[in-house]
Amino acid sequence: MTGVWALLGALAVAGAIGVLLKVREGRISRSKDTIDLPAPVRDLLAPGVTLVQLSTTFCAPCRHAKVILRDLADRTDGLTHAELDVTNLPDVTTKLGVMRTPTTIALTSDGTEVLRVGGVPKRDALLAALRPHLP
Amino acid sequence: MPKDSPVDPRGPRFSAWMTTAILAIVLLTGWWRLLAAQTVLFAMCAFISLKLNPWGHVYRYAIQPRLTPTSEREEAAPLRFAQGVGFVFALIGTLGYATGLTTLGMVATGMALVAALLNAALGLCLGCEMYLVLRRYVPAFARPQ
Repeated sequence: MTGVWALLGALAVAGAIGVLLKVREGRISRSKDTIDLPAPVRDLLAPGVTLVQLSTTFCAPCRHAKVILRDLADRTDGLTHAELDVTNLPDVTTKLGVMRTPTTIALTSDGTEVLRVGGVPKRDALLAALRPHLP
Repeated sequence: MPKDSPVDPRGPRFSAWMTTAILAIVLLTGWWRLLAAQTVLFAMCAFISLKLNPWGHVYRYAIQPRLTPTSEREEAAPLRFAQGVGFVFALIGTLGYATGLTTLGMVATGMALVAALLNAALGLCLGCEMYLVLRRYVPAFARPQ
């Protein structure tokens, strides 16, 4: 009988995690404080706004995020997309406070964080949030 | 470690449903030998090749021909990593059941089932997304791949 409860518990936990992650997927958050950017990230900054996408070798949705962001950057003036593989750069993710991949951070050319997106971004919502910062 | 070529993403989803079913049977019956077999399967896929997964063969020969062909492909590295995470939980679960620590066995099996079900139902690889967290807190994941 305990096994039945364990199974029901596992199903409930899976449901809760699934709903939570789906709700949070692509959510845009604004940064609260300025951080000193790690060198590998600073090196990627271009004029205008740069979407720095943090990925790992083991991240399947990173590929989908890359397709969306690259296409968005190609069609938008002043927007650049750059991907950084952080599989072996734990210091970078710790410093940036990033816990999951893909995480995309929008940065101005002077390194100021405009916003960040956890998971695969939603194209239209992201573009709307970036508009005020684009030339 | 040999590299696997990218796969049809529907194959791993089918495989995840089968894994979910196996883990559910283990939870319901406490049949630890079945969990031990699943542990070996996880290990073979994670450390040798995804080609050793029997569910992959079932998918290729029995299911794929009935589906519309897709050009979409998924990289093998995240899939193998997920199998590795599954292996750790299944191993703890097997040891728990086999040594009489049934609660430990159930909790570990339950966690593996949660991950397999999320993968099967939503295509979500929990271990892959949480790689950064795993790497920070579990040193074994820190070795370069």
